[in-house]
Amino acid sequence: MKRDEKSIKNQWCYYLLVFIVVIIVLALIEKNLKGFYLGIFLLFGINAIICLGVTITNGYANIFSLGFGGIMLFSAYVSSLFTLPIQYKASFLQLPEWLEKAQLPFALALFLGAIAAVLASITLVLPAFRLRGHYFILASIGINIVMANLAVNLRSFTHGPLGIRNMPFATNVWWVYGILFLTVIFMWRFTHSKFGRAVITLGKDQTLASVMGIDVVRYKIYAFIVGSFIVGLAGPLWVHYTGAMHPEVFGLVFVFQIIAMLIIGGLGTISGAIMGAGIITLFTHLARPVQEGFRIFNLQVPPLIGLIQVLMAIMIFLVIMYKPEGIIGKNEITGQSLQSIWLRIKRKEKEV
Amino acid sequence: MLLYLLQQLINALAYGSILGLLAVGYTMIYGILGLINFAHGEIFMIGAFSCYLFVTIFNLPWFTAAFLAITASVISGLALERIAYRPCIKKGGSVLAIFIISFAASIFLRYLFMMFFTDERRAFPIPPFFEKMYFVGGIVVGLRDIIIFITTILIMLIITYFIKYSKFGIAMRAVSYDKKTANFMGINSTLIIKIAFIIGSMLAGISGLEYGLSFGIVNPGMGFNPGLTGFIAAVLGGIGNVPGAMIAGFIVGIGEVLFVAILPSIYSPLRPLFVWILLFFILFLKPTGLFRPNVKFDGGWGE
Repeated sequence: MKRDEKSIKNQWCYYLLVFIVVIIVLALIEKNLKGFYLGIFLLFGINAIICLGVTITNGYANIFSLGFGGIMLFSAYVSSLFTLPIQYKASFLQLPEWLEKAQLPFALALFLGAIAAVLASITLVLPAFRLRGHYFILASIGINIVMANLAVNLRSFTHGPLGIRNMPFATNVWWVYGILFLTVIFMWRFTHSKFGRAVITLGKDQTLASVMGIDVVRYKIYAFIVGSFIVGLAGPLWVHYTGAMHPEVFGLVFVFQIIAMLIIGGLGTISGAIMGAGIITLFTHLARPVQEGFRIFNLQVPPLIGLIQVLMAIMIFLVIMYKPEGIIGKNEITGQSLQSIWLRIKRKEKEV
Repeated sequence: MLLYLLQQLINALAYGSILGLLAVGYTMIYGILGLINFAHGEIFMIGAFSCYLFVTIFNLPWFTAAFLAITASVISGLALERIAYRPCIKKGGSVLAIFIISFAASIFLRYLFMMFFTDERRAFPIPPFFEKMYFVGGIVVGLRDIIIFITTILIMLIITYFIKYSKFGIAMRAVSYDKKTANFMGINSTLIIKIAFIIGSMLAGISGLEYGLSFGIVNPGMGFNPGLTGFIAAVLGGIGNVPGAMIAGFIVGIGEVLFVAILPSIYSPLRPLFVWILLFFILFLKPTGLFRPNVKFDGGWGE
């Protein structure tokens, strides 16, 4: 397709316009939203980042791993060890002296957490070469359990099952949505680059990919490095939003929630991941008051802890049965596709 | 020291039988459908928890309650197959889709029970008949451990006989080895799948009862760890190989108990790690397991 200079220029104007509008909207949101609603907004952003990171390994490379919970746990602990107040560390944890004195700005701790996540993902990469299918899924669940178990037992670093608190609340709208924005741009470029296309081909058919001259081992490693880096950014964001940490936060229920987002939104697309994150985040927050029991016309509805998970399981079942590709499906929502839909609606109006 | 080890070994027998029974269910269903029945641990939980409910709420005698509990777990296993797995397989869902459905089914069952009964740990009713202890040369042997072990061995012998010589057992092995060819030979694979679910869920229910008897605690979240450990035993025994799964269940159970018994007590919280490290070793060194697997081995993905 040939593009003339004018349309490229127009495109740039268009992107700039969207960018400015997004910034203004974010600024308004940061100023006006408070408490509960701000919480939903932030969690949506964080969940979207996690979903995007998981999409690279589970969607593009088609290596279905559930091990991201363990990786996030590791990155969250690493970053929080660098931002905790020094007195807290001295009184509750037994750390080596350099770590006890360490006090880094949030940005650096975030980056260190992501690097730690990449290192931790080696434990996932190694089984990924040897195992396929169910065996790999099982091994990746094992990584979650092993990480949580280590976190319980390495008391001098993690304060055991009691967890650590007093993390500074550093996460705000700008951090979350800045990283989300960069991630989306990165993912978009990634799917259109040589690396990304190789990873996607590998996910479609490994034998075909190796025949085409793609180094399967190398690109699997790339997929895991990139995916865990993004997931590793989300762990510290989460922890510095809640301000507390214990070994079970990223346990199986959390993993299930993220899988629900990916399946409902559609595995393997950027818009699907974001859509799924939005739907499930909103749903969990709306269902929480119902779950905790309420009064209606003098009728006490007892608390039903676990209702959210039950409903989520039913949602997953329905989506897999009736729309196996998720709500978005296999095609990305882009400016162009929106435009074409708009044009189609317009044409129909004219015909009527 | 020898006495101590012997004592631990006897304690481990009950745990090994629990895992062995679970592993047989996994290996049957995996062999035939090619899916990890992730909800198997929840069926195990239903077996134990519904026995507790029947005894405490309906005041039934223990053996009636146990029988009803096994029935309940069989019914829930069949319902799972009918409602969740069969429509998905019929629709031609990928292996991944079926796995996610089984994951969702597991979470669904566990949280359904948590929703109504909360996740408190409760004391499992143990009839006084089981509480007897024998002292044999310095070793304490509980009657319930002996009963659990003997029932398990009996059940396993029956199942092995069934798998090896009965018409359905032979058909089951055929479907497990190659479903398409088995269908050509005139085997009704839907019926075979049903039978596999019935037997698997029954064994899971019995194993749940044994868990309740030997640990004395039930709660809706109890199925998760034994379920995964049972699957690891199934992998160790060679997927689809029923006697292998039984033996591997005992190996894993005894290994886990001895791991805690031999190492100093600081390491005993690391107990879950042992199983997973064992799994990694198996998968890296000998992915087909200790015994010959009874599936066309393709690394797990099937089609």
